[in-house]
Amino acid sequence: MLGFHPKLGIVLAAGCLNLLAAEKPVAFNRDVRPILSDKCFVCHGPDAAAKGVPMRLDSEAAAKADLGGGRRAVVPGDLDASHLVRRITADRPALRMPPVASNLALTPPEIETLRNWVIQGAKWEKHWSFIPPARPPLPEVKNRAWPRNGIDWFVLERLEAEGLQPSPAAGRATLLRRVSLDLTGLPPSPAEIDAFVNDPSPDAYEKAVDRLLASPRYGERMATPWLNAARYADTNGYQYDGERYMWRWRDWVIDAFNRNQPFNRFTLEQIAGDMLPGATLDQKIATGFNRNHRANTEDGIVAEEYAVEYVVDRVETTATAFLGLTLGCARCHNHKYDPFTQKEFYQVYSYFNNVPELGRAMKYGNSPPLLPAPTADQQTRRDELERRMEVHQKLLRDHQPELERAQAAWERRIREGEAVHWVPSSGLDLAVSFDGEGRVPVAPGRIGMAGVFDGNAELDAGDVLGYDIQDRFTLSAWVRSDSAPHGSVLSKMADKPDGKGYGLYLNHGKVHVHLTSNYVNDAIRVETEEVVPAGSWHHLTVTYTGSRMAEGVAVYIDGRAAPVKVLMDTLYRPFRNAGGEFKHPFRVGGGAGPERRFRGWIDDVRVYGRILQPEEISAIALGDPLNAVARKPAEQRSDIERLKLRWYFLEHAAAPEYREAWKQLVELTREKEKLERTFPTVMVMAERPVPNETHLLVRGAYDKPGEKVEPGLPAVLPPLPAGAPNNRLGFAMWLVDPSNPLTARVAVNRFWQAYFGVGLVKTTEDFGAQGEWPSHPELLDWLATEFVRTGWDVKALQKLIVTSATYRQSSRVTPELLRRDPENRLLARGPRQRLPAEMVRDQALYSAGLLAEKLGGPSVKPYQPDGLWKEIAMQDMDYVQSKAPDLYRRSLYTFWKRTIAPPLMVNFDAANHESCVVRETRTNTPLQALNLMNDVTFLEAARFVGQRMVTEGGQDRDARLRYGFRLVTGRPPAAAEAETLRNALNFHLDYFSNEAAAKTYLEQGDSPSDPSLHPRELASYAAVASLILNLDETITKE
Amino acid sequence: MDPLQERRLLLTRRHFFSRASTGLGAAALSSLLPAGLRAGAGASGLPHFAPKAKRVIYLFQHGGPSQLDLFDYKPNLHAQRGKDLPDSVRMGQRLTGMTAFQTNFPTAPSIFRFRQHGKSGMCLSELLPHLSGVADEIALIRSMHTEAINHDPAVTFLQTGFQLAGRPSMGSWLAYGLGSENQDLPSFVVMVSQGVGGTQALADRSWGSGFLPSKYQGVKFRSGADPVLYLSNPPGYDETARRRFLDDLARLNELKFKESQDPEISTRIAQYEMAFRMQSSVPELADLSKEPESTFEMYGPDARKPGTFAANCILARRLAERGVRFVQLFHRGWDAHGRLPKEIRGQCEQTDQPCAALINDLKQRGMLDDTIVVWGGEFGRTVYSQGELTEENYGRDHHPRCFAMWLAGGGIRGGVTHGETDDFSYNIVKDPVDVHDLHATILHCLGVDHTRLTYKYQGRHFRLTDVHGKVVKPLLA
Repeated sequence: MLGFHPKLGIVLAAGCLNLLAAEKPVAFNRDVRPILSDKCFVCHGPDAAAKGVPMRLDSEAAAKADLGGGRRAVVPGDLDASHLVRRITADRPALRMPPVASNLALTPPEIETLRNWVIQGAKWEKHWSFIPPARPPLPEVKNRAWPRNGIDWFVLERLEAEGLQPSPAAGRATLLRRVSLDLTGLPPSPAEIDAFVNDPSPDAYEKAVDRLLASPRYGERMATPWLNAARYADTNGYQYDGERYMWRWRDWVIDAFNRNQPFNRFTLEQIAGDMLPGATLDQKIATGFNRNHRANTEDGIVAEEYAVEYVVDRVETTATAFLGLTLGCARCHNHKYDPFTQKEFYQVYSYFNNVPELGRAMKYGNSPPLLPAPTADQQTRRDELERRMEVHQKLLRDHQPELERAQAAWERRIREGEAVHWVPSSGLDLAVSFDGEGRVPVAPGRIGMAGVFDGNAELDAGDVLGYDIQDRFTLSAWVRSDSAPHGSVLSKMADKPDGKGYGLYLNHGKVHVHLTSNYVNDAIRVETEEVVPAGSWHHLTVTYTGSRMAEGVAVYIDGRAAPVKVLMDTLYRPFRNAGGEFKHPFRVGGGAGPERRFRGWIDDVRVYGRILQPEEISAIALGDPLNAVARKPAEQRSDIERLKLRWYFLEHAAAPEYREAWKQLVELTREKEKLERTFPTVMVMAERPVPNETHLLVRGAYDKPGEKVEPGLPAVLPPLPAGAPNNRLGFAMWLVDPSNPLTARVAVNRFWQAYFGVGLVKTTEDFGAQGEWPSHPELLDWLATEFVRTGWDVKALQKLIVTSATYRQSSRVTPELLRRDPENRLLARGPRQRLPAEMVRDQALYSAGLLAEKLGGPSVKPYQPDGLWKEIAMQDMDYVQSKAPDLYRRSLYTFWKRTIAPPLMVNFDAANHESCVVRETRTNTPLQALNLMNDVTFLEAARFVGQRMVTEGGQDRDARLRYGFRLVTGRPPAAAEAETLRNALNFHLDYFSNEAAAKTYLEQGDSPSDPSLHPRELASYAAVASLILNLDETITKE
Repeated sequence: MDPLQERRLLLTRRHFFSRASTGLGAAALSSLLPAGLRAGAGASGLPHFAPKAKRVIYLFQHGGPSQLDLFDYKPNLHAQRGKDLPDSVRMGQRLTGMTAFQTNFPTAPSIFRFRQHGKSGMCLSELLPHLSGVADEIALIRSMHTEAINHDPAVTFLQTGFQLAGRPSMGSWLAYGLGSENQDLPSFVVMVSQGVGGTQALADRSWGSGFLPSKYQGVKFRSGADPVLYLSNPPGYDETARRRFLDDLARLNELKFKESQDPEISTRIAQYEMAFRMQSSVPELADLSKEPESTFEMYGPDARKPGTFAANCILARRLAERGVRFVQLFHRGWDAHGRLPKEIRGQCEQTDQPCAALINDLKQRGMLDDTIVVWGGEFGRTVYSQGELTEENYGRDHHPRCFAMWLAGGGIRGGVTHGETDDFSYNIVKDPVDVHDLHATILHCLGVDHTRLTYKYQGRHFRLTDVHGKVVKPLLA
């Protein structure tokens, strides 16, 4: 080889290589890194050391370093000295890279690119997406009349460089349909089309866009792809796949888009809304984003294994949705392509590893941490109750002196009178006083008579108090024993040790409470350290909040809260699991088997279907009659004694108007508690007070912890912004800090994809080395910086895109352009895409006039073929179809069972809702055809479009056909189309002259047709409407 | 898809529609479709080498059939009966949450007798009298093992090569890689036995396409009026009307194509035609009334009951005859935690005869040579009893460390018994076969190099076998 000469060298080295190719400048990020990444990094990338490979090509320093004896992978300008070039061009197959066994091969153009790159000086660049976007100036274009806004300058520059022209603008009706579908998910009505087409004002289109952006439908439309990214669903996934309730989070998303929450806040609140100072209910609900992952409730799982999976899912989803990074690839080893080490994965993991959660989720309903999340309507009702309570409270407050005087007089009267006792009576479900008790022997007790238990006797109160694990309740009783109290006090459970049910027993003086669905892996057990002394009466109370967690159990001894030790906290199935029974007697002094029966005295058992307040519990535990308290000088009475006197007085002895106010107040309190029990809950993020330790997991396995790691960010990305705490909140702040090179780019790219079908970066989910080089890098950066500049204004960004000349082009394509650019990456035409699954259905319902528009609420169950759940789900689950209007809600409200997704949605390529999906896909299958032709959803919609043709379309057939065609497609039929429609109608009129067939055909769906219409006519129009609903154009955005 | 080819096709078809009378379009259209446009076309470069088999019938036994009571004879175990499983065998390996707290682990030998069968002398349980009759056709693997210990992840692993949701199932990979041989039927069909009590749930993801386009997902065939969802025309609307409907639809779509030139439109026209063909081909396929009496005799007493495993086995053969690439049956009810002897008898009564019949039937028709039949579940069961061990009863928990499967047909060597476990059927002592190896081997028989059937997603070139898998040569003919 001769000495290096820029041009001569190429000729000599490459032989017949075209000289011009070498002169075309090679750009590392655009041309070289994709090749190195895809073909070399698996071995020579960030994880090379793990494979024992010394040569690395993922960093400039390593690639140009001396590997020993002067060997270097890349020597700028020197093909012969560059081992990279020598190996990829080696003649001997054994030496040639990539090796055969890798199943990778370089194409001749790729080899030439790498050679040219070396020749041109082997310039290196940091990976493009890790460099913060800089706002590029608008480029020069020839056709300066075309651009409408910044977007168009970039698009046109590229088109001109490629020698292409933009397409003419789309027709007005087409454009309005396109933008209505894109911004609201529904087509325009004929009236809206008329208004727009006939609006001569220069800002007619802008006005239409503003109208659409202001519609509540906008939020529903924008939420849909975000639900896919957030793997939102109505069930837990995995084997049992029971129901969960995350719709309050879903509604938060809709609302966030509708009120145009800036994207940085949208991000911040979803990642760490709970950690914001003074976090509001809404901000906490927002964090449901990272609780949407699947959750396993299978009996035999090792809970720790799934606790890890949940955190991994959070990291993967957050990285994909906000950063466009495949961080999850570094779970088991260093990332093969991107500069992320396995340790860095676990550093990010650590931000999400601090949730007080269990690896095994609740079989039914939401799993903690969760939050009652009243809807606006429920909040209003609660406020109203509180307002009414305040009226009574005010009355009592305002007449305080009078009440005190009256109470003092009453106190004097009862000092010497008959014994007066007070206990709460509101919410009482069972009381056993043992006074006059005949079921067990009695003896004088703490209050009146007490039950005597000798280790054999027990009191069977019958099959009552069937509380389940989600119910709240309070158990209380007086006990006394000569030796350390031992045995069952109160229980409802199978009469054997560790039987199913709940119970309160004393374990050699320690108070032990359990809720057991299945010993030993499905139970709550707590026990006090404090011992109940022998030889005297003591009062025990247990409250349970229905949280299904040990933290929901509180124990009180003699009216004081007694700390408990959690012995078991794995409860996840109700007592009535899978619809089973929970029938046992409520026992006093027994339960858990004959050996556990109580020895001693039990008195005044009280069970409440609510949680008593600590003061109420203390008041009960005072035990002594109020007469004694009344005798004490006022200043010697304790707070509880004062309260107890007051409560009794208000309940029994005050003037009638105050007694009534008190009674109302108590009733309203119960009513409010009852209302609060109906609040939907939502799973949210929360932080443990003491942070979890995070360890790197060797090979990603839950049971192979390696070195301990602290929360942190990948070194290749910017550090936390100044002042941000190093926790999940700081991570969220970092995501939306302007220094973050990815967040804005990834967001604008995903929005772009929704309009054009493909992102500017096609790999919406991967902005790493294996991701695709942007089709318009400057446009991407311009949009990203514009997004940030406008304060992350989401609606403004949508408006920018849909008002661009690029977006407004006609989608017609020529065969030549199709060959040149099949995917429309150059944007020489407008988008033409099949509608997403949700829109296919929603549009049909809308055209039919069936769509029931209502924002938010619990998910609904529209038509679905019978038996789909029965065939493969657990036996106790069946699909119970909703009734109108819920039968006709927009598809984002459709109940999504993860293991058996709604077939219509699946057929039309909806995301799977099992894991984060940000890329849109479209297929074209016969199942879609069958679905549109034969699903009751579309047949009923066709029936109603047909009915509208007859009732609204005028008298003559052509007018009706034109009406129906336009109703669905947004345009009148052309002559040839009208003729086909006419022929089709005539055929069906003939076909349905068989009236029995017509009637049968019209039986599809729940909603009755207009009875005044003739079956033959209606069926014929319905069939033509079905034809229109099946058109390619109908299910396509043009 | 080559747009020029598309264009030529459309010109041809427009010509055709202008002349053809209603009703003839369907049959003719399929032959007009160029290979690249067919929904059934596979990925380029496949198969990688000459295949031994063209299709697979996979009889998935969901719940974890007990290898100890069916395939893995342990004569020395009777001496250990009731004794605790030695720690030296268990080696502290993890147990499921259902028996992890059990205080003792009584060894429970099978109460069923084993005998040698065929020229090969394969040792099989008395529970499998019919399979025993075809012992020389099957290759028995006694050394399967898996990573997962619970149903959902274990089934997902068997089906997709990964424990967590999101990856394509084996059938989807093959539909993507090899396409279909029949233009009127999907290339991947799934059937779930109905009427089996006390079963665990399945998930659509078991036949899902994961990150592959959804057209590669398994199509579930159901027993009843609509074997495929939405297949039947609505009542009151017959085939004549539908044909006319499709002709009008095609005409309107053609007009649209003329204007917009989007090739998706011509694909859609073709898909509607395939839908129409499915409307006749699927009911024809699902209609067993023309099967001779001998078929029902061969497949056993359940064969006439739609939705049973036996009836589905007949359907599987009919699908195979029609060139469907991957047929998968799911039969549940093997999850015998508490009453294994009773339950397994019932399971075998439902499945043994149809399995053997399927092998014989395929053989008689000369199709066993190019059809692979696979039988097996997601894991095995423990040698120790879950719950009390009595004379007549025991239960067995999930056991991932060894289990048994069998294969038969195209490319598989009959009569082989592969792999060995220890005296307790607890650990594998010879020739372990993991799930990836099984996948690699099945793919190999189909002419597919498992390391080269890839799909790029999230920057990675994904494979069914992830980064693992070895073809198990001793199983090959």
